Amino acid sequence: MSSAKGSWELPISEGELSRLTGELDEAHQEYLPRMQAAAADLGQELRDTGAVRESRFASRRGFLLGAGGVAAALTLAACSSSTKTTAGASPSGSAMSPSGSPSASSLYTGDLQVVALATALENQAVGAYGAALAAAKAGKLGSVPPAVATFATTAMSQHTDHAKAWNAVLTGAGKPAITGVPLSNQPATLKALGAVTNVGGVAQLALELENQAAQTYLFATYNVTSAGGIATAASIAPVEAMHAAILNFVLGQYPVPDDFLPVDKAASPTLLTI
Amino acid sequence: MGEEHLDTRLLAELTEQSQDLNSDALRITRESLVEYGQQQEPVRRWWQRGSVLAGAVGGAALLGVGRAAAASSVDVQALQTAASIENLAVSVYTTAAGLSFIKDGNKTVAAFIAKTTTQHTAHGQAFNAAATQAGGKAQTAPDPKYLAVVKKMLPSITTPADVVKLAITLEDVAAQTYTSYVSKVSDPALRKLFASVAPVEAQHRSTLLAVQALLAGGGAALIAIPTDAAKLPAAAGSVGFPDSFYSTSMASPVTEGAVQ
Repeated sequence: MSSAKGSWELPISEGELSRLTGELDEAHQEYLPRMQAAAADLGQELRDTGAVRESRFASRRGFLLGAGGVAAALTLAACSSSTKTTAGASPSGSAMSPSGSPSASSLYTGDLQVVALATALENQAVGAYGAALAAAKAGKLGSVPPAVATFATTAMSQHTDHAKAWNAVLTGAGKPAITGVPLSNQPATLKALGAVTNVGGVAQLALELENQAAQTYLFATYNVTSAGGIATAASIAPVEAMHAAILNFVLGQYPVPDDFLPVDKAASPTLLTI
Repeated sequence: MGEEHLDTRLLAELTEQSQDLNSDALRITRESLVEYGQQQEPVRRWWQRGSVLAGAVGGAALLGVGRAAAASSVDVQALQTAASIENLAVSVYTTAAGLSFIKDGNKTVAAFIAKTTTQHTAHGQAFNAAATQAGGKAQTAPDPKYLAVVKKMLPSITTPADVVKLAITLEDVAAQTYTSYVSKVSDPALRKLFASVAPVEAQHRSTLLAVQALLAGGGAALIAIPTDAAKLPAAAGSVGFPDSFYSTSMASPVTEGAVQ
C-alpha cells in the first residue's frame, strides 16, 4: 500500500504512518520534557554555582554563603576524621581509607568517580545478561522460560540506556567513556556466571547485580553534590529495583521484600580499577 | 486505507519541525552535559562523606538533633504531601482488602495488599516523623487531588483488575513524586528518605503491572508465590518495567498535600 502525491511516493500506508507518528509523539511526550527539565536543572545548577562564586567576595550575602560553605566543609572534614562509623552506612567493598580508594591518579575524581562506578556497574549488568542469553541460546541453561528470556533482553536494553547516559556525562566532562567493566569484582562475577547451569542460578546472580545497582544509586543520591547527578541516580534506582522485583517473583520470592531500600549491598568506588 | 488523503507538503513541514526540535534538544543536552562535566570537584570524595551522612540518617534516628534547622519549608511541605499520598494509599488498600472479590479471591493478591498496606503505613509514619522533627505538623489527611480521583473511580470498581488498575496509578504517582522530591529537598537526610521509598513504590507498581497482565491474559492461576515461571507468558518478563528511566512527569507539587 503506497500513495503517490506531489513528487514522491509514500512507501507505507496511512495507517502505518499514523501508528508510527503516534509512537513518535508518545516518545517525544515522554522524553523531551524530561530532557528539557534535566537540562534546565543543570543550567540552573551551574548558574547558581557561578553566582555564588562571583558574589562570594562582593556582597554580604555572598560572604555568608561562602562562610556557610566553608563551615559545611569543615564540619564534613571533622566528621570524616572521626573513627565513629555506623553499620550499613558505607557501601560494600568500601575500605573507608585512603589505601582502599582507587589510584590517586585516577582519571575520575569527585562526583565523576561515582559516574564512572555507575557506568561500570551498568556495563557489568549488560555483559552478564548478554552472557546469560548466549548461554541460554547455546542450551547451557536447560529450558529457559519465555518470560525469563524477555526479562533478560529488556533489562539488558535498559542497562545499556543507563550506561549510555552515564558515559555521556563522562565524555561531556572530557573524560574517556567506559566501555568495559573496570571493577575488581568482575572476575568473581564472570566466574559465578560461568558456573551456573540453570535459569535459577542466572536469575539469582542477576538479582544480586540489580540490588547492588539500585542500592548504589540510592547511596549516590545523598552523597553526590551535582544536582544533575542526584536526579539521574534517583531516576534509575527505581528501575533497577523493579528489575529486582520481577526477578524475585520469578525466583519464587516476595517481590517487595523491604519497606525501605537499604544500602548494605551498595557498591563502593573502591571497586573501580581505573 | 485512505491513502489519498495524505497531505505530503504538510507532512514534509511537520517532519522538518520535528527534526528542528530534535536538533535543538540534542544541542541543549550536549551543552548541558559539557557544563555538567566542567563543574565537578566536590569538597570531599563521596564515599568519605558517606559514613558521616549515613550515620546521621541511619535507622529510626533518621532526623536527629538540629535537623529542624537544616530542613526548609519546602522540605516540610514535601514530607507532608508524601504523607498525604501514603495516607490515601493505606486507605485505598484497606478498603480493597475488605471487598469480597479480594477477601475471597486470589490469596496472593490479598497477601500482597496486606503487606503493601503495612509498607505504606511505615512510609507515612517515616514522612510524618521527619515532618514533625523538622518543625512541621504531621499530615493525617489524604492527598486531596488523588482522593477525588479515587472517589470518582470507586463506584466502577467491581473486579480485582479494577483494584489493580487504581493501585497502579497510586503507586506510580507515589514513586514519581518521591523521585522528584529527591531533587527538591535541601537536606541530604531527606534525599535518602525519599530515595529509599521511591524504589519500593516502583516495586509495588512493577508487581501490580505483572499481576494486571496475568489477569488480562487469563493467567490468574500464575499469580502465586512461588509461581510457575515456566508457564509465565513472555510479556510477563518485561511488562513490569516499561521505562529505562523513572518518569517524574506526574509528580505532585510539594504544596499539594501540605498542611494548610
